[in-house]
Amino acid sequence: MVCWPRNVLITCCCLLCVSAAGAEEKVDFSRDIRPILSNACFRCHGPDAAAREAELRLDIPAGAFAKRKGKAAIVAGHPQRSELMRRISHADPDQRMPPKESNRNLTAKEIDLVRRWIEQGAPWQQHWAFQPLVQPALPKLAEDAWPKNPVDQFVLRRLRSEGLTPAPQAPAETLVRRVAFDLTGLPPTIEEIDRFVEDKSPRAYEKMVDRYLQSTAYGEQMARHWLDLARYADTNGYQYDTERTQWVWRDWVIAAYNRNLPFDQFTIEQLAGDLLPKGTAQQRLATGFNRNHGITIEGGIIDEEYRVEYVMDRLVTVGSVWMGLTVGCARCHEHKYDPISQKEFYGLFAFFNQVPERGLGFAPQESIASPLAEQQRREIDQEIARLRAELERPVDNAAEVEQWARKIASGVYGWGVLNPDFMKSSGGSKFTKQEDHSLLVGGANPGKDVYDIHARTDQLGVTAVRLQALTDPSLPGGGPGRHSNSNFVLSEFELTVVSVKNPETSQVVKFSQARAEYSQRNYEIKKAIDGTTSNNNGWAVDGPVRKKPVAAIFVASVPFGYEGGSVLRFRMRHEASFGTHGVGRVRLSVNSAPTEALGYVGPPVDIVRIASLAVTDRSEPEQKTLAAYYQQQYGRHRVLLVRIAALERGKATVFPATMVMKDLAKPRDTFILKRGQYNAPGEKVAATVPAIFPQLPADVPRNRLGLARWLMDPSHPLTARVTVNRYWQRLFGVGLVKTSEDFGVQGEMPSHPELFDWLAAEFIRQGWDIKKVHRLILTSATYRQSSHAGTAGYAADPENRLLARGPRMRLAAEEIRDNALAVSGLLVKRLGGKSVYPYQPKGLWMELNNRPGYSREYPQGQGEDLYRRSLYTFWKRTVPSPMLKTLDAPEREFCTLQRSRTNTPLQSLLLLNGPQFIEAAQQMAGRVMREGGEAVESRVVFGFRLATGRRPTQEEAALIGSVYRSEFVRFRADEPAAKKLLQVGQTSQLSQLDMVEQAAWTSVTRMLLNLDEAISKG
Amino acid sequence: MSHAWWESRLIENRRQFFRRSSTGIGVAALAHLLNQDRETVAQKPGAVAGNGGLPGVPHFAPTAKRVIYLLQSGAPSHVDLFDYKPSLDKLHMQELPATVRGGQRLTGMTAGQKKFPVVKSPFKFCQHGESGLWLSELLPHLGGVADDICVIKSMHTEAINHDPAVTFFQSGHQQPGRPSLGAWLSYGLGSETENLPAFVVMLTRNTFGEAQPLYDRLWGSGFLASKYQGVKFRSQGDPVLYLNDPAGGSLASRRSWLDQLARLNALRLKEVGDPEITTRIAQYEMAYRMQTSVPELADFSDEPESTFKLYGEEAKQPGSHAANCLMARRLAERGVRFIQVFHRGWDHHSNAAKNLPVLARETDQGSAALIADLKQRDMLKDTLVIWGGEFGRTVYAQGNPNAFGRDHHPRCFSLWMAGGGVKAGLTHGKTDDYCYNITENPVHVHDFHATILHCLGIDHERLTYRFQGRDYRLTDVHGNVVDDILTQPRG
Repeated sequence: MVCWPRNVLITCCCLLCVSAAGAEEKVDFSRDIRPILSNACFRCHGPDAAAREAELRLDIPAGAFAKRKGKAAIVAGHPQRSELMRRISHADPDQRMPPKESNRNLTAKEIDLVRRWIEQGAPWQQHWAFQPLVQPALPKLAEDAWPKNPVDQFVLRRLRSEGLTPAPQAPAETLVRRVAFDLTGLPPTIEEIDRFVEDKSPRAYEKMVDRYLQSTAYGEQMARHWLDLARYADTNGYQYDTERTQWVWRDWVIAAYNRNLPFDQFTIEQLAGDLLPKGTAQQRLATGFNRNHGITIEGGIIDEEYRVEYVMDRLVTVGSVWMGLTVGCARCHEHKYDPISQKEFYGLFAFFNQVPERGLGFAPQESIASPLAEQQRREIDQEIARLRAELERPVDNAAEVEQWARKIASGVYGWGVLNPDFMKSSGGSKFTKQEDHSLLVGGANPGKDVYDIHARTDQLGVTAVRLQALTDPSLPGGGPGRHSNSNFVLSEFELTVVSVKNPETSQVVKFSQARAEYSQRNYEIKKAIDGTTSNNNGWAVDGPVRKKPVAAIFVASVPFGYEGGSVLRFRMRHEASFGTHGVGRVRLSVNSAPTEALGYVGPPVDIVRIASLAVTDRSEPEQKTLAAYYQQQYGRHRVLLVRIAALERGKATVFPATMVMKDLAKPRDTFILKRGQYNAPGEKVAATVPAIFPQLPADVPRNRLGLARWLMDPSHPLTARVTVNRYWQRLFGVGLVKTSEDFGVQGEMPSHPELFDWLAAEFIRQGWDIKKVHRLILTSATYRQSSHAGTAGYAADPENRLLARGPRMRLAAEEIRDNALAVSGLLVKRLGGKSVYPYQPKGLWMELNNRPGYSREYPQGQGEDLYRRSLYTFWKRTVPSPMLKTLDAPEREFCTLQRSRTNTPLQSLLLLNGPQFIEAAQQMAGRVMREGGEAVESRVVFGFRLATGRRPTQEEAALIGSVYRSEFVRFRADEPAAKKLLQVGQTSQLSQLDMVEQAAWTSVTRMLLNLDEAISKG
Repeated sequence: MSHAWWESRLIENRRQFFRRSSTGIGVAALAHLLNQDRETVAQKPGAVAGNGGLPGVPHFAPTAKRVIYLLQSGAPSHVDLFDYKPSLDKLHMQELPATVRGGQRLTGMTAGQKKFPVVKSPFKFCQHGESGLWLSELLPHLGGVADDICVIKSMHTEAINHDPAVTFFQSGHQQPGRPSLGAWLSYGLGSETENLPAFVVMLTRNTFGEAQPLYDRLWGSGFLASKYQGVKFRSQGDPVLYLNDPAGGSLASRRSWLDQLARLNALRLKEVGDPEITTRIAQYEMAYRMQTSVPELADFSDEPESTFKLYGEEAKQPGSHAANCLMARRLAERGVRFIQVFHRGWDHHSNAAKNLPVLARETDQGSAALIADLKQRDMLKDTLVIWGGEFGRTVYAQGNPNAFGRDHHPRCFSLWMAGGGVKAGLTHGKTDDYCYNITENPVHVHDFHATILHCLGIDHERLTYRFQGRDYRLTDVHGNVVDDILTQPRG
């Protein structure tokens, strides 16, 4: 076949959206005819035998050319004798194919194409994407200085055949910003821009690309894309959407990209790391990929129904990500278009059907350290080892007991009961102080009641507070609550400590933990310190059945107490809607003992008495009693063991159990499921791959490992093509194959078929080296072109399929937010770890799901957690972060191969009014004032460079300067408005800069961050 | 045509716009102008906000311009509200015959139950209107509009648990991933308003702790572009997320600030030529418009006292079902295409006799008022109102028959529709003596969807979207329009 005219034809195809070869041209089966047959005929005359009409099959030559009753659908060279031709051009609408009701009628042009194809001998080729991958030779071009690498030769040949020339190279500051975003998802710093712009060496550009490839942010950026494909989320999806801890797997992905794990190994470890001979824990962690699917916990579900769904999800995801195929279409029946039978679908299903899992449940799981937190894990292990050594060390027990006894005697280790001097009830209840310093509550019994109780203490280093809810004959029902059923609900327990010496010095005590002698189910003690009182959230004690006093201990995250005495201001909120659920009798105490040693009650009176005696005054039995009590309650052994246990527990939180893949010892049988239904098994099938592809190599096992190796075998026609296409799509906005989610016969042909195959083959040839293939594309002249094509350029080729200009598109959701954080200086660059909770409007979680035990208020983070990169934002499937979702992030219920890229007013509102963006503007304004010189003009330039990477034109600078001046005038006249603007967000109080000035600059930086250019790569 | 020329036109038009905007010409005009000026620019799908829609849609003259869908999440009991069965008096406390159950699969919640005693409804039923519609005593207000509604007693579905069932109702598929009904409509029909989204969702604050959770995807866009997803109007905080400036800037100061932003963007447009920049400029104008139109919409102070007589005092409490019904009417008046209200808490596995009246009271007056209100404004004729849950409840008792609940029942249940081309005062479909199986005119969820689309002038087989090589439809490969309930059945 002739090479170059084919390119011309493709242009027609993709630019004019008409799959018509010119009248004189040769018709190409793959490009022109198969799409017509596939779209119009295959539903009834395709691979699906069950749906096949008239026993006619047009998806394979054996069917299309077969003679039946003396006629053949297609007679090569003879349109007039071809039954197909007769039927598609039939004058009688009832005879004409496809039938009217199919809504797939052919145009006159399409019919003509088919006619000419038959005339030209009806040459038939296999679908292009299923053909073996062969690296094409480079095109021979007349001398030209433009190409920088082979990519450009293909692109230039195509441009020339269109009579087009490449766009000039983009300016250096545009290039460095484009590369920085593509490789790291972050803007270049001003230093990075200057360094590149000023580097006049011949390989300056390549060096710049390499710098970003080496940055750890590269792994984060690549991982972010992979997370969409892997449907990664921090929750389980479906109805209750409870939380999971797959972030350890996410860290594996980041680390894998950063160490440039070749794509074949990257694949094998994620699909079958658990099956590798001598596999490591990290390789097992990688298999979390296939456990990222949603898992339901809805009561009443049928277990098997959902187990089957999970297996389906795995198969569909792997089919999409590695093969670009819609295998899921063959779940219920034969695939309507592609050569994948239902039996073959279940042959693939069998590979993923071997997990020892249930529809309800999360096993198999394993605790594996994040590869990014190895250091942390080592530190904890070292500390545990140190404590264990300590345990072995012999000590003088008697001396220790005595030291402790002295503390007991002085009251330090006991609970110091507080003597309240101020009590107030919001609802008019009366407090009567008892001899034991407890407060008996009586009088009015309001529905909701907040007790304010103040007491003084001179104790220092207070580690914990004890609350005793005591019983009293005057209380109804015999228990410790005020309700007639004698229960209470303590919605929230709060404490503020005020210095007696300096009453303006005070602190709110944060409780790190709470424990209670007894808690009612779903009303655990921790709910009294979780910061929320809604939906009856609080601590209760089964008052109706348990008629006993009860104690709770609240441990301060940091010991407190002021020299010279402290006033402790307690607030006990009773805000449950049940009404009159107040505590009936309260006693409060404090303690300065190590928190491991705290009991609900202090040492018994008798022990205190013995401890108070001098050693010489104690009898031998007394000394024994004392020593025994010490060993049991406070012994060094016990303290050490408690501490070790706490560290082990901490390790479990730092490295929580992660879902991983595993295969059953005895394989589970797989059956074809009729209509795809879990409860309709048909024929039994073995694990096999579809016949259209090369078969499983003889030397690989018939399990996921074998399947993974099969996918990565260089003979597989799809893996490299699909992967390279996705990289291209990410960089240029559209893949060389536009339908990156469908490489089947319904998908589109590549815009540059030879470039495409060359790149895919090159990727394999270079050992599946991900950084290398990126470097190859990024260093091409094609990529370096300017995107300034003028309205005519954009009109001629809106999607830039011809590549006559550089890529320009809006940044992804995460990039937009990360950009704002980076240019403001707020960005916290720490890699990996638990997902975080940045700003979010109140109530979004609870308004959708307020089921106790299944939901909670969004736990908005503090400090650094607000400024981490967006890929660490907690991903809740049923309520994704509105910042990301508004900017087209998917819900991640399923594998997403291509995000939509929309342009909506809700996005404008987010960027205008989102507190994260206003705060970033504020801090960016601070930078502008500190680093942008003294003059308005230089500050304008500095701010503009931060936002866009380039210097403003004179006109732009003048406009921005005028904005600053008018905003300055406005804020000078309205300082409260300035203050309000600067108070948005948590960092506001940090700045020492002039308020009016900073507010005016914030107006400017807000505008800069809203520029189309600031949220685009161009 | 040179950039400079084009740019000058653009700026000129913007000036005109800003001059006129103070006298009430909206952003629609600007978007339109920007658009007109872009004749040479390829029309990218989705490049411009607002109207849009697919060419050739609607396929035929619609009977409904808009839909208000009051979704009763958790599944209300048809046995106790709509499907009156005097026969149950005799069957009360008798075991449900196996022949009636016919091998129906049970949820994990009653699969282990040994006995399935039939329990009759503890509530009285009476007839209403000229049509003589039987309704439970729990729905007195609905009785007042009995002659305006059409009750379908023969709905059935495939799912037996909430998540797949409500996902099925919302998207035509039990598993997540498909576009919601509202997203399909925005995609097909576009928007009638330039100031508000085409698809708005409201959640009723639930008074019950144990309501079914909801999920963003229920109004999501699936594989359609994300701009088609429903926009949540909230009763706490900003009605639309990020609508208001937390720094409290005035709209007046924002106006001139936005003009400068637009100028900077326009300068860039001149330089680059990317039409996305034009769209961006228009979207900032639309955002500004929303900042003025939404607060006005959410402020009920312009409603006369008679409104609150009709909807009840509860309508003054933001987030109540009644308030959401009133808000739905205000949205409908302003051209919003698809309005969906979620009312939760119907999942009564125990204590149905105690809980049902609470839920019915919450929904009854507002829903009935909405019908009456639309009618008095002459909007009922082209507004399709729908009220219903994701499945029904079993006639047999779950748990202790003295404090009985009812389990999920997919085989038959009731919902009602009104206006927008649906026959008034009609009851469609019948069930057996046990309220357990359909005996006449079954309506599947796919049929229900096909019928809604039909009212909007859409042939459900022709509203498709090509994704992964396949032309997807809301009704998959199923669905029959229920002609019997339509004022203008298919010819």
